[in-house]
Amino acid sequence: MTTQTHPQPLTERLEPYIAIIGPMVMILAILLFMGAVEPARYFRTSNLNLILLDAALYMPMAMAMTFVITQRGIDLSIGSIAALSGIIMAFMIKQYGFSVYVAVPIAIMLGAVMGLINGLIITRFNVPDLIGTLAMDLVYRGFALVLAKGLVLARFPDFLTDIGRGQIPGFVPIPVLIGTATMIGGYLLLTRSYFGRYTIAIGSNPEAAELTGISVNRHKVFAYVLMGAAAALAGVMLTGKLNAIQATSAPYFNLHVIAAVVVGGTSLFGGRASMIGSFAGVLLLSMMINALVTLRIEFFWQSVASGAVIVGSVALYTWMQKKDRDGAGGIMAALQSPGGQKMLRFSALLIGTLIALFAIGGLTAGDTLPSG
Amino acid sequence: MTDTPLVQMRGITKRFGGVTALSDVNLEAYAGEVLAIVGDNGAGKSTLIKVLTGVYQPTEGEIFLDGNKITFSSHADAIEQGIDAVYQTLALADHLDPAANMFLGNELTKSVFGIPVLDNKRMKSETERVLMDRLGVQLKSLDAPTESLSGGQRQAVAIARAVYHEGLRVLVMDEPTAALGPQETARTLKLIKALKAQGLAVILISHSLDDVFEVSDRVHVQRRGRRVGVVNTADSSTQEVLGLIIGAEEVTA
Repeated sequence: MTTQTHPQPLTERLEPYIAIIGPMVMILAILLFMGAVEPARYFRTSNLNLILLDAALYMPMAMAMTFVITQRGIDLSIGSIAALSGIIMAFMIKQYGFSVYVAVPIAIMLGAVMGLINGLIITRFNVPDLIGTLAMDLVYRGFALVLAKGLVLARFPDFLTDIGRGQIPGFVPIPVLIGTATMIGGYLLLTRSYFGRYTIAIGSNPEAAELTGISVNRHKVFAYVLMGAAAALAGVMLTGKLNAIQATSAPYFNLHVIAAVVVGGTSLFGGRASMIGSFAGVLLLSMMINALVTLRIEFFWQSVASGAVIVGSVALYTWMQKKDRDGAGGIMAALQSPGGQKMLRFSALLIGTLIALFAIGGLTAGDTLPSG
Repeated sequence: MTDTPLVQMRGITKRFGGVTALSDVNLEAYAGEVLAIVGDNGAGKSTLIKVLTGVYQPTEGEIFLDGNKITFSSHADAIEQGIDAVYQTLALADHLDPAANMFLGNELTKSVFGIPVLDNKRMKSETERVLMDRLGVQLKSLDAPTESLSGGQRQAVAIARAVYHEGLRVLVMDEPTAALGPQETARTLKLIKALKAQGLAVILISHSLDDVFEVSDRVHVQRRGRRVGVVNTADSSTQEVLGLIIGAEEVTA
């Protein structure tokens, strides 16, 4: 019980840092690739500014989502919370003449209340977080549509556009400052507060947390409230950035933010949190999307790339955390096992049928019907 | 060993609906002794200690601590009164470091501009102190997550959490050696002896009669919800205790 002498293998010693190494390696890969292919346009100051401006929007949400995911939760409603609080704030300013200095805090508080509703639905009514927040995503989006009725609200006071796209001369944009500040605040919250400590404990071992007298449900609600407030802040920043807001704004916030957090090494299975990783994850996704744009790849490929990054990083982390993988003996051995053989034949059958159908369709093809 | 038991359970009966898990069970534990509770599966060992630690409330019967009648409405009440338990699962959050686990739910804080902030440094030094002074255990690193520790080290952290409470007088240990190898088991038994030497009443639940005979002073045998005997370990044998467990022999307590 005193000292362990056997040296730990390299992978084990690296493990605590994987969270930060993973996204860093990918960031480096993007930098190297873009440096080789398109250095002039990618590394322009104005383009780097664009990347930061894009990343800043997701930073508050990634911070809060780190807490939610660490507690083994998930929040799919953040895009709609951002849109709905942005719309209500816009109406307050445009239609009711509210001061922007009051309307912005109102929007953030509204987001917090929406998060509270999510949290209560999950903890009091025992609706699984995936279904609960997915349903509330529809509800909040619906309210946004009902209120705005397809209107685009635009032209807001300077304070709001400063939040969204203001620039400190010779320095970084204001939203980048806001985003970074929330990430630093989140880091302190995670390591220095009861809430952060209990968040990890709840995700790591909910029964143990309950046994040691931690109010599991209350801290879950706290995480969703933080998430809601952060989503509303993102809604405010988005409104300021575009100087416009509509009910269909921010459609894919949820998956983008979850991707950033997961790429950063926070485990979907709970207990493992990395705020620095989430920060790196946000930067990585923004750099990747910007690279796609710089390379003049069609906008719609973004979604393909984001999805591939999520699947790739989750699979990678799961593989690395599996302690007893040495017995498996690699991909070829897995394919040769009886189970693998059956799966292989099944996949071949499906793909073969598809190819056959295409062939039949192609051979029997007649005149084309114009859609218009 | 003094004459009045530190903790005494009298006439404890616990029913769950129509099922009687415990009927009229007495239990005495003295300060500075290890009382082992043995019995077959379903003999009521776990129910008995859950009543003692306030997790369950008895249907009938009374509990006395130091001769004073006490009632618990929750496990937290029992901890307050000085009765705590270390569970077989240890109830550790594996992703947190040992110090965070030891103070889980009871963190030390310092005030920064009037805001309570976790004092990770002091929790670490306190953990080091408690592990060394009370249990004689030194961990190689207090920064690594608890999941990287060995079974015995994890056990030490869980015990340290219980003994950190200065008012602790009765410690219940539920199958502490069940998942451990021979070496780790020996170390855990050493921990139990150290706690006994510090004047705690240790109540040990175990399936391993070897362990029981190694550390305990007396053995309380449960069978089908009843206490079928209490024997002094020194005057008894594995044979006798085994006979009581399976019901081949009856001794009036």
